Amino acid sequence: MQFSPLLLLFAGKQLTTLSGVDILILVLYFALVVFIGFYAKGKANTSEDFFLAGREMTAWIAGLSFVSANLGSLELMGWAGSAYQYGILAAHWYWIGAIPAMLFLGIVMMPFYYISKTHSVPGYLHLRFGNGARAVSAISFGLMTILMSGVNMYAMAVVMQTILGWNITFSIWVGAGTVALYVMLGGLRSAIINEVLQFVLIWAGAAMIPILGLIEAGSWSNLKKQIAINVGNGDYTHMWRTLGHFSSNPMGVHWTGIVFGLGFVISFGYWTTDFLVVQRVLSANNLRAAKLAPIIGAAFKMAVPLIVIVPGLLALAVLKNPDGSVMHLVASNIAKGNPGMHTYDEVLPLMLIRYCGPGLLGMGITALVAGFMSGMAGNVSAFSTVWTYDIYGAYLNKKASDSHYVAMGRWSTVIGMLISIMTAYLVMNANSIMDYVQALFSFFVAPLFGTVILGMLWKRATKAGGFWGLLAGTASSIGMFVWVQTTPSALRYIAMSPDAKPMAENLYRALWSWLICVIVTVAVSLVTRATPEAELANLVYGVTPLPDDGSKTLWEKPLFWAVVVITVFFILNLIFF
Amino acid sequence: MSDNREISIWFFCGILMLAYGAVLVLTGLFELHNPPPTVLAELHPTLWWGVLLSVLGGFYTIRFRPGKA
Repeated sequence: MQFSPLLLLFAGKQLTTLSGVDILILVLYFALVVFIGFYAKGKANTSEDFFLAGREMTAWIAGLSFVSANLGSLELMGWAGSAYQYGILAAHWYWIGAIPAMLFLGIVMMPFYYISKTHSVPGYLHLRFGNGARAVSAISFGLMTILMSGVNMYAMAVVMQTILGWNITFSIWVGAGTVALYVMLGGLRSAIINEVLQFVLIWAGAAMIPILGLIEAGSWSNLKKQIAINVGNGDYTHMWRTLGHFSSNPMGVHWTGIVFGLGFVISFGYWTTDFLVVQRVLSANNLRAAKLAPIIGAAFKMAVPLIVIVPGLLALAVLKNPDGSVMHLVASNIAKGNPGMHTYDEVLPLMLIRYCGPGLLGMGITALVAGFMSGMAGNVSAFSTVWTYDIYGAYLNKKASDSHYVAMGRWSTVIGMLISIMTAYLVMNANSIMDYVQALFSFFVAPLFGTVILGMLWKRATKAGGFWGLLAGTASSIGMFVWVQTTPSALRYIAMSPDAKPMAENLYRALWSWLICVIVTVAVSLVTRATPEAELANLVYGVTPLPDDGSKTLWEKPLFWAVVVITVFFILNLIFF
Repeated sequence: MSDNREISIWFFCGILMLAYGAVLVLTGLFELHNPPPTVLAELHPTLWWGVLLSVLGGFYTIRFRPGKA
């Protein structure tokens, strides 16, 4: 296999190099992605086409796109690193931190989103709580998506530099340019096609690591024994039995934080109100498909730890230095200045290189690139929708033609991408990508869940209550974050324990900000005039006759499949208890 | 994506997997005599993974090919 002369341009400190066949695999992916952009352009003529893919996606496509939009670079790299650092506790972010919320979205919330015919989550807030709540939600969401897109971009560039020695600026601009091109051309349809493609690609590219890793380890039992020997205790392979106290597990968290902070607030906030993922489900072609899509997504989400968490655990057992001693990965601040050391976030590439020669390595790298680009595309397509509908169309130009809004959608895609590029350069100095993302989630998403869930389930919630609750929740979250950043000892008050570690702070800050949002919403609602029930039709439980989703047999009922998925979820948690 | 005049998403997935499968099979055959310096290379994972992707990719490419009723 010959090395490409092109790659010599980016030579430097790197883990490996791509062979000709690896480059062929990467080029094939980019060619297909761009082709899809031009193909989808012919079907993105109206705003409904461009922003909601014509609302004609099947449950399977919407479901895979729903889960894939979240399966970006930060998922693959960050959580594999977290699995190495914290053990199987990291799988909580895939199971209790996703599955119940996804099922709740499908069964309880999707009917309201769908029959209200809203085009976005801020759009629902507008219908339910008026302009104020929509403005807070749209502006904070727009900010978050652009920052997230920039983080994805930066993460991709760092990975390409670490693995292949590529120049960071080259990676940022090639990735951003490709994503901007296909989203600008085809809108959400283009993004969805590429997300489904990326989901397949990630499995095709990453599944060899756990398969070969478990063969090398001998079995799951052998893997657990080897980890216990290498790490010095058996805590790394238990999901629940070490969560009785902050100091008895590697993550420094308590089960209340995992169940209520992660499993309830962060998870429900993200999966049910983050428009990035909800937008995929809104593209479904009927109510039954819209209800089934998150359930299908949940089933696939449960399997993702196999390609993310298991490689991190395998690394604890099988990674060796050239002299045969156990390799110890370290935090990025320790690795900096120590060329012989590797960071936690490098665990997936290290495992990829361990098992994958030419061809398979190209598949793995392409899967990573696809994951990064999908993350950017998801954010920028959601940003473009919220900007066009909920900021530009709502406040700046209310009476433009449909074609004008489509043009604005295309332009905002390009401009959003440029802002993301600037963000990528800004976050280069951030020490931990995952901490940054967690902070963003709890700023906006946790309080938003409080507002949306009260809006959907409590008809007494008023416009003023929704607005002030959302504002108070968001402000309190930012306030707590700033407090801990400027006074680290404040962590013991936020997490209610002197033994709490930074991960616990994220969980409890989300919980407090959600509670503040709910309390303020309820208090303000009770002292303001109730909204007439006639205005709440199709928006609130109790005043909305829920339409039949068309299911006839048991096998067609979304609720049946939700029960199947939640049963498997409980069994998995018991197996790895 | 149910319109027959459209290209199915599954066709895009199939054609990419088929292409990757073919590339991996050829690479895997080459590696039978020139194994890469990776752990468990003796199991020929590139070849077997290529065969699997070719079969799955081929099925989806044919099943969802454009113009198929």
